[in-house]
Amino acid sequence: MAATLARSGMIALLAAGLAFPAAAGHLDVPNLFASVCGFCHEDGGRHAGKGPQLMNTERSDDFIRKRIREGKRGRMPAFGRMFSDEDIDEIIAYIRALKPREQASTE
Amino acid sequence: MRKQLLITAAIIGLAVSAMPAGPSWAVDPSRIENAAKNPNDWLMYRGSYDNWQYSPLDQINTANVKDLKVAWTHTPGRATRGLQSMPLVADGVLYYSGSYSRLFALDAATGELIWSYIPELNEDLIAQQTHSPYNRGVALGHGNVYVGTVDGRLIAVDMKTGAPVWDTKLVDSEKLTVGFTGAPIVVKDKVIIGAQGGEWPWRGPIFGVDAKTGKKVWEFFTVAGTEEAMKTWGNESWRTGGGGGWMPGTYNVAKNLVYWGTGNPAPLYDWAGPDWKTEGPRPGTNLYTSSVIALNPDTGELVSYFQELPHDAWDFDSAVGEFLRIERDGETYIVHPNKGGYVYVYDEMLNFKRAWPLVKNINFIEGVDEKGNLIGRRDMREGKHTNLCPAIAGGISWNTGTYSPRTGYYYKVGNEWCMDLEIVKTTPILEPMAQLNIGANFTFTDPEGGKAYGHVDARDPITGELAWRIDFPEPPLASLLSTGGDLLFVPDARGVLRAYDARNGAELWSQNNGLGHNGGIISYAVGGKQYISVAVGWGSLVGDAYPDLFGEPYKSMATDQGWLVTFTLPD
Repeated sequence: MAATLARSGMIALLAAGLAFPAAAGHLDVPNLFASVCGFCHEDGGRHAGKGPQLMNTERSDDFIRKRIREGKRGRMPAFGRMFSDEDIDEIIAYIRALKPREQASTE
Repeated sequence: MRKQLLITAAIIGLAVSAMPAGPSWAVDPSRIENAAKNPNDWLMYRGSYDNWQYSPLDQINTANVKDLKVAWTHTPGRATRGLQSMPLVADGVLYYSGSYSRLFALDAATGELIWSYIPELNEDLIAQQTHSPYNRGVALGHGNVYVGTVDGRLIAVDMKTGAPVWDTKLVDSEKLTVGFTGAPIVVKDKVIIGAQGGEWPWRGPIFGVDAKTGKKVWEFFTVAGTEEAMKTWGNESWRTGGGGGWMPGTYNVAKNLVYWGTGNPAPLYDWAGPDWKTEGPRPGTNLYTSSVIALNPDTGELVSYFQELPHDAWDFDSAVGEFLRIERDGETYIVHPNKGGYVYVYDEMLNFKRAWPLVKNINFIEGVDEKGNLIGRRDMREGKHTNLCPAIAGGISWNTGTYSPRTGYYYKVGNEWCMDLEIVKTTPILEPMAQLNIGANFTFTDPEGGKAYGHVDARDPITGELAWRIDFPEPPLASLLSTGGDLLFVPDARGVLRAYDARNGAELWSQNNGLGHNGGIISYAVGGKQYISVAVGWGSLVGDAYPDLFGEPYKSMATDQGWLVTFTLPD
């Protein structure tokens, strides 16, 4: 009964469109950072935290793609089930465009 | 009263008694209820239902601790995220769990292996979990060792042989992502364990399971577990409420009550700010999150509760803390620390008595009034905010403090750190599997006027009066231990185990264990010898923030190693 309740709750939320951060048909990556990624990549990826700083990373797109898909045991969860290739491309594009807050706010 | 306590301690404290009898393989409920009276054993998480995390043994004491030497070590292997568990001892056998709920039974005098049990877990799931694959401890009873798993199971294995007895799936972790990392406790004929929760969009249940058969008897949802509580979650937000009970509580034998601390609601931060009663992601007080609850262990029914943080908007769980049972002047008090940095004092029915701050840097509230209401709440709307204290990791973390009836002091780690944050409107992500729901971007900061640091305080547990304090450049993240030899053991974050005079804080001995401490420490006796056993290993989610906050030695500190180190005096 309890499990049924929990599951029906999720269905209700899904029906209400509360499943995934999306904006204009795209993954809402800044929002995704505020709910999930930012737990370790602080300030939207601009600052290190439990995980490394993503802004100005010298890692290649292929490296980042692989790391998002497969994670790193004991450090970062694997998100291969969560994100499509297109989603991951959007996350990489977000990371490449990251700028310090002050700079971003003056643009 | 303190004199009375001392006399009591002298009677039950005893020196080590030579107990040559071999393992009896039977830890029945009455033995667990009387755990504090047999100092040779360490039968449950935090030592006894009194939760003192105290050993009356006094063979190792302030005069001879300088001679303490390593007796043996053991490594569990696959120590991903270090070794965070609390070993237990019964009849000269030490039982402990490593990451992935790997179980070991060792000769407690020599470390020699008696048996091991390596459960097969859902490795694909573990690769997708954040709060994983560490395990924080086991429970003993009814001839079994009990351990939870991160893929949502509670397992019983035979204490004597390590053979599996039962294996019960309690949580659909493949869907909900969360499972079990905290230790269970045994209460009469039940094993009780709480699920992870907090920032995870579910309802964080606590389970009562038949100790002999593994059959689930009851399940209490820390989020909206009653009709009354459901009304405190506007817009049906209880469906993704968070909560959980990810650390073990304890049991009050006389009142037949299980005390448990609950996790925070999700999302952690609330864009509605001061309008949280009617607006935002979870309008209302959000019962029974960030609360202490008292359950009937036979039925799982709620008997009493106190919500420490109504509508917690800062991620300051009540799940972190011990429930010290302290008797003073004819009154019985239950003392429970909250992650926000306040220590709460209750009577046995969880009626609020007072709260006192352990931590200096607290500004999420201005205080707690005489009825337990929060004064001057800092409810932050969507947008940027600076210098929120404590930081998300809390003024108090999950490892346990210790209370010595000899000194009357409660020894507890306080964390001094803050953070800047930007609160963002988020939505729960549930498909294909549940994801964290933080609700903010944040950055750790130093407190105003100084660096982030930690301290171990010796205080009166009821009034909070400070006797003395030891500062540490980084907060220790391991459990503490006090003993009948008037010693206080502090396993620090850099990897040094330190012994202090519990009466005045003078450092008497230290040993570098080579890696940060982030787990348990106990004392027990076998064959007339007292031992101290400590978990060595680094890699919790709080510790993960140390490289950026403090630099070395944390930048290069291994997070995939761990071992148990056990000390004794030379023959």
